[in-house]
Amino acid sequence: MKKLLCLTIVAFVINSCSSPKSLYSWEKYGQASYNYLKKADEKSIEQIIEQYRKIIYKQKGTRGMAPPGIHADYGFILIQQGKLKEGKESLMRETVLYPESKIFIDRILTLIEQ
Amino acid sequence: MKKIIYILIASLFLNSCGSTGTGVLKSTAYSGIYQEKPLSLLIMPPINRSTDVQAKEFFHTTLNVPIINAGYYVIPPFLSMEILKKESAYDSEMFVDQPLEIFQKVFGADMALFTIINKWDKSSVGSKVMVEVEYVIKSTHTNEVLYSRTGSVIYNTAVRNQNSGLLMNMLLSAVNTAATKYVDVARACNNYTFSDLPAGKYNLQYGLDGETPAGRKKFTVKLPN
Repeated sequence: MKKLLCLTIVAFVINSCSSPKSLYSWEKYGQASYNYLKKADEKSIEQIIEQYRKIIYKQKGTRGMAPPGIHADYGFILIQQGKLKEGKESLMRETVLYPESKIFIDRILTLIEQ
Repeated sequence: MKKIIYILIASLFLNSCGSTGTGVLKSTAYSGIYQEKPLSLLIMPPINRSTDVQAKEFFHTTLNVPIINAGYYVIPPFLSMEILKKESAYDSEMFVDQPLEIFQKVFGADMALFTIINKWDKSSVGSKVMVEVEYVIKSTHTNEVLYSRTGSVIYNTAVRNQNSGLLMNMLLSAVNTAATKYVDVARACNNYTFSDLPAGKYNLQYGLDGETPAGRKKFTVKLPN
């Protein structure tokens, strides 16, 4: 009986806010995206590209794939940097992982072609 | 003895995060979400009615993460900003009371999130930031409000690193620029507010959390708590 009580207490402690594993890992995305929005200078672009790569290639979340939008925003910034082919591939990758993105990705691709 | 165990087990279930105990269930408070089962959300550029011009950006870049973490698809923020600007739709005020079908057509979004920052005041002494912010998620299909909460948040930037050691604190404060600090404030507001958002399609709790309690519609909280 005591054992059961102990187990319950342990479970109670474990079941606090800190432990549940997230769907996705984000690295330093928040800070990098703020800096990019605010400055959009060379350093902040480098910083956010680095974060996108980490989120894509070193993803630790329970879903085991990049969160929604990351491939798309990453591809978009690559295109703005003149890396058209790589950028388009990343945009396409978003539509494979998240088919609901196809509507606006197609729109962006059309805008790029213009 | 048995009684104690039952009490403990009961408290185990109640011991979840962020629930501020209204007694109202999510399936009631956010019934539209359970009926419509929306998947994708468009973040509208926050409407800033505070006296701090920077508050808008602090919020804009920290809204997507908690909603994505809840299991939704959020239209990527930088791409959507670009499209909104191209379509001359960057001013959210224009759309608050307008039909939102356009966002369904252009972005494939089922929902649009409006954020209204009413207050963002830094105390002249000390390290507190007082924020009042209103979050409204509307359906692009029906224009109905699916989710709304208004929070008054007092954020104490000084207790941010209370768990790390003295040396770590010194190091952190050396790099702790004002901007970093305020991004944290916005992030904390957003994370706290959306902690009761019903789980979206990419979350294992999708459709199963209707019987859990919703947070208060209007809340006041001190963060970090």
